[in-house]
Amino acid sequence: MPMYNKLTAFKVLVGGAITGNIRNFWRQLSAFGKVSHLILVSLVFLAVFSPYLTLYPHNVSSGPPLAPPGGKHLLGTDELGVDLWSMICYGARVSLMVGLFTSLLAGLGGGMAGVIAAYRGGWLDRTLMRIADIMIILPDLPVMIVLAAFFGPSLRNIIIVLALFSWSIPARLIRSQALALKEQPYIKMAAHFGGSTAYLLFKHFLPELFPLLLVSMIRLAGMAIVTEASLSFLGLGDPTSRSWGLVINHAMNFRGIYFTPFWKWWLLYPWLFLTLLVSSLALLGRELEKIADPRMMKS
Amino acid sequence: MIFSFRPLANLEFVDMSVKKSWPRAIEYLLTFLVIITLNFSLPRLMPGDPFLHLSGEAGEIVEAYTEEQRRYFLEYYGLDRPLLEQYWNYLGELARGNLGFSYYYKEPVVNLIARRLPWTLLLVTSATLFSLLFGVLLGSFSAWRRGRWQDRFLYLFMVVFGEIPAFLIGLVLLIFLAAGLGLFPLAGAMTHFARYASFWEKLKDILHHAVLPVLTLTLARTGGIYLLVRNSLGTVLTRDFMCTARAKGLAEFRIRYRHALRNALLPLVTRIALQMGTMVGGAVLAENVFAYPGLGRLMRDAVFVRDYPLLQGIFLVLAMGVMGANLCVDLLYRRLDPRTKTVNVGDMKNWQDSAAEDR
Repeated sequence: MPMYNKLTAFKVLVGGAITGNIRNFWRQLSAFGKVSHLILVSLVFLAVFSPYLTLYPHNVSSGPPLAPPGGKHLLGTDELGVDLWSMICYGARVSLMVGLFTSLLAGLGGGMAGVIAAYRGGWLDRTLMRIADIMIILPDLPVMIVLAAFFGPSLRNIIIVLALFSWSIPARLIRSQALALKEQPYIKMAAHFGGSTAYLLFKHFLPELFPLLLVSMIRLAGMAIVTEASLSFLGLGDPTSRSWGLVINHAMNFRGIYFTPFWKWWLLYPWLFLTLLVSSLALLGRELEKIADPRMMKS
Repeated sequence: MIFSFRPLANLEFVDMSVKKSWPRAIEYLLTFLVIITLNFSLPRLMPGDPFLHLSGEAGEIVEAYTEEQRRYFLEYYGLDRPLLEQYWNYLGELARGNLGFSYYYKEPVVNLIARRLPWTLLLVTSATLFSLLFGVLLGSFSAWRRGRWQDRFLYLFMVVFGEIPAFLIGLVLLIFLAAGLGLFPLAGAMTHFARYASFWEKLKDILHHAVLPVLTLTLARTGGIYLLVRNSLGTVLTRDFMCTARAKGLAEFRIRYRHALRNALLPLVTRIALQMGTMVGGAVLAENVFAYPGLGRLMRDAVFVRDYPLLQGIFLVLAMGVMGANLCVDLLYRRLDPRTKTVNVGDMKNWQDSAAEDR
């Protein structure tokens, strides 16, 4: 396989993703898509630059407990006097990390499983798809609770288990697309001309399948973030991580918080940020599905 | 140009070749075995020795077991036998309905679960029914008014709302409807120590407590069903037989419900089954938001008191419930749609399924 072909494929992949047609892409988004895109970008900004955006530590007390927003503490403090804005900023790191790593693991692993299943066929295909079916039927939250209880809820464990439970979605998608692709005349032609497996995969399959995989990874990220937040909300998340779900959990454990004014910041802000993140990821995923899947263009 | 690539011809998302060699029954049996095996192997895979856990909390003076005691306990719990024999015994106990004994509640796990299960069932079934009802009503309303402002408004609302996870919705309801306005109770399934004059009063109390959890789950689930109905009805409405029905001069009601909606509802059946897992997960969360005494609440409590047999029992029951629902739907689907001899529920829940909603 000539080196330059691989390089071109790579350029198409990476160059396209980074530089190509950002303006065109932006134009294709609806108003809601644009808003959610902006929200996501600013949340990533919060997460990356949280040390520079916060004045107080996110894990130790830095003021009076339960101070309302305003004054020294932008969003107030919690029961122990920890600055809420710092917790929100550092919590964004946890959520985004869980989303990113889970979708990378599950997306790449699932995508690979899908391509291999479609390309090889036979018993390998059958076995992989049956496992994927089983993974789909199992109720994931109870499984996560059980696994967290047995193996300890570290962030790494949560990511691994989440990836184990969500790879089947991209795997099925990629497999069905790759099956259709395999029957395309130009691919058959390339194979008849002696294109090797690696050549076919990198030159033809990957460029076609990558955008779809990327879109489904956005969905996976959203699901992973929700599940992590749910686990933390139940008190089963990583106790050292200080995620938004955990802040909500602490607030809920404060007796009678609904009858005090404290929920107006302690509960409201983590809730707000979580909702913003989850719904903008979902909205953006929906938009990208429409753009990436040509069958959607008909309506 | 990453987001505009060449359309693929012949998009076949469900290929039928795999299914023929794998009957559905075997697949369910397999899933069943996976769940049981997972349940069996988890405590054995857990880091550490089980008798370390028995011997005390961290920080306490730990009374170490002597080798003799350890061997006694291993024998007592049957842990000294070969793994295969343990597995076999485990299966036998399960078949007899023995899920073990709860450390914390000092009661057989089965009894505990039996007491809590009705509450979870109440939540899950009524939320499924309500979300179906609202989803179908709103979805068909939207499909018939496609493109007008009612449709566009509903669509936007549902897309945004459908993505917010159940427990976040539940928190809002709890704060505003229960705590703020005092319309509904904050926690529990019945008023404590209440004496009811009649059966109806008791029923009223139970329903009053169930409103918020059910509403939470319904709100979280309606969006998906709405989108599915809207789109599948949208495609049905463009079919030729709709034109025929109109040409025959049938009443509008008949066209809409007998001809259109009936055909559009088929994909919904599979959807409900696939949502069962998510629904159960949502119920676990909703029960914890509203301190509702169902299995989800019990599950969380079991985690905190480290009651592993109870935890595993609940997990088994929930997983079996979800699988049972899937099996029922599989059978039902074959009755409903004579065109399909076998339909693979798993195949419907891929990414395309959610994507196809937008068509």
